[in-house]
Amino acid sequence: MFTVFNLQWLRLKREPAIAVMFLVMSVLFVFFMAGTGGQKVLTVQTFSDDLSESQTEEWIDRLNETDAFVFEIQDRATIEKQIQMNQVAFALELNEDNYKYLVGQDSQFLMAANQHVEKVYRSHLKIAEVNKQFPDNEVIQKEFIGIESRSLEGVISNSEESSANVITGMTLYFSVFTILFGLMNIAVEKRSGTWDRLISTPLKKSQIYTGQLLHHFSIGILQIGICFFIFYQFFNYNFGTQYLSIVVSILAFVFAVVSLGMLIISIVRSPQQLQAVIPITATGMAMLGGAFWPLEIVSNNILLGLARITPIYFGMDALKGAILYNQGIGEILQPISILLLMGVLFMGMGLNLMESKK
Amino acid sequence: MLQVDDLRKKFKSTTAVDGVNLYLNEGESVGLLGPNGAGKSTTISMISTLLRPTGGEIHFKGVDVLKKPEVIRPVLGVVPQEIALYEELTAIENMKFFGKTYGLSGENLKNKVAEVLELVGLTDRGKDRVKEFSGGMKRRINMAVALMHDPVLLIMDEPTVGIDPQSRNYILEMVRDLNKTKNMTILYTSHYMEEVERLCDRVYIMDHGQIIASGTQEELKSILSSEETLLIEVQEKSADFIKKLSVHPSIQQVVEANGGYKVITAKGEDLFSDIFNLAKSNQVKIRGVHVQTPTLEDVFLHMTGRKLRD
Repeated sequence: MFTVFNLQWLRLKREPAIAVMFLVMSVLFVFFMAGTGGQKVLTVQTFSDDLSESQTEEWIDRLNETDAFVFEIQDRATIEKQIQMNQVAFALELNEDNYKYLVGQDSQFLMAANQHVEKVYRSHLKIAEVNKQFPDNEVIQKEFIGIESRSLEGVISNSEESSANVITGMTLYFSVFTILFGLMNIAVEKRSGTWDRLISTPLKKSQIYTGQLLHHFSIGILQIGICFFIFYQFFNYNFGTQYLSIVVSILAFVFAVVSLGMLIISIVRSPQQLQAVIPITATGMAMLGGAFWPLEIVSNNILLGLARITPIYFGMDALKGAILYNQGIGEILQPISILLLMGVLFMGMGLNLMESKK
Repeated sequence: MLQVDDLRKKFKSTTAVDGVNLYLNEGESVGLLGPNGAGKSTTISMISTLLRPTGGEIHFKGVDVLKKPEVIRPVLGVVPQEIALYEELTAIENMKFFGKTYGLSGENLKNKVAEVLELVGLTDRGKDRVKEFSGGMKRRINMAVALMHDPVLLIMDEPTVGIDPQSRNYILEMVRDLNKTKNMTILYTSHYMEEVERLCDRVYIMDHGQIIASGTQEELKSILSSEETLLIEVQEKSADFIKKLSVHPSIQQVVEANGGYKVITAKGEDLFSDIFNLAKSNQVKIRGVHVQTPTLEDVFLHMTGRKLRD
């Protein structure tokens, strides 16, 4: 088994282009799509027709007492132009006792920004009202009893959710490419005759398969591991504390993808056909499984149902649970079990089909 | 040493091998001769335990290899028709890998690589990647890999296809040497009758999945003892001329050959005047008529009415 395993590493060492290319692409894609991961702050363009410059600045200072948003003053004409050009999705118009939005397009961040603006306005107006009633006293806001209620999901900001989606989605997507293209070696070996040559040696067939599959399994693990390491080390992305859950999720996901690859190469006959099938499968799975966009924006039940037959969906579910919500293995047991079940089914079907072709 | 009885292989509606019987004694060099598609490769795939037969038995030293393939695999060397090598790796890396699959390691493996590289004449190219090799060199490494573990039985499936005459000659000499000096038992398949004539003690002729003749070269050629082969060289071939020749009562077979026609007749028939008359009436200019000693090709022609490379 290790003879075959080592041989595959030697072959990769001689021709590493494809594996390196997918690793670099996954890092680049995540970098450009998610920025530096988790550090993203939304800028809200703000203007006012009614307020004086100093009043507007006072409001801006109040609104900017948060890390999640940056409110910037602009004039109405510039903002309207930016909205027309789709450069900004929405802008905030400040008035003395209320506020409005100019909305160019729907944005998932509008609701979050509005919550913050509403909170600031309500608090300021309350104090102003009390001040009006007691003009001789200076009233300040002080919380004697503070009730903080927050749900687990509530503490995750949109940008964190979005970054986690891009990082896990893109990393898993490109790892699928690497694994499936790597597994194409088996089809190439069967065609070139080296597979038959190996079968005629004293090695058992199970040893040959195990050596091959273990190699592709470790390539997948390594690629995801390197990607996550780069984001952790160089872009300060926060992976939480549940490292064991992350590792188990990766292992289960890679096992399912390697097995899926075996099923594909047992059905598709030639390496040329595989070259067409692999991108379609990987991209189709990524689109359905939520690697390119959050599944929350998908409303079609058929598409949501199809998502549940892709390993990427469950891989992302488990990884996001571990990374964003610090879930332990017990809490992500369901997606992990489904991935393992997929792996066993695909592998069983793939090996049987492959051997029955003989 | 190797006994094959009533071997059959069916692929859906096609019968590729149909009741093949053959045997190999220790130290023998046996040829399996037949045209493309005769079933030679399927037969040796089954003997090499790569393909499960539909029926029949294969025994190696008395042991049923279909039930116990592990008996034959460690002592079997297979040289496939295709270049079954990892082309991105060097010759030495390929040889080392396949050597390891037979349990070789350390100094033993290193020495064996050096020895076999010398045998195939590629000592100075061992560190080069296989993909940089010429066709002939790839064929030699393809063979070297099969010799790493000193096999007792070497099965070669058309090992000289598509290579230059020099490499072909080298390989044929090497095979003869392995058989004579190392007493290696060899099963050599080819559709080049001159290779089989040069290398093999005994020959099986195969066509349409069946063995149609077998024996030593002399035994096979004696099939044609009552016949004669004439090679008629002509300036320009004519369809009418060949038609007339084929219906002549004394001519058994006519096929097109290089520069003319090959004709098999009963021995002692005086056909020369008839041939010249037929040529004249069909406006064919004859450049020469030769009487040939029979070859295995002629045996195949006699038995099937076709040439080996049809």
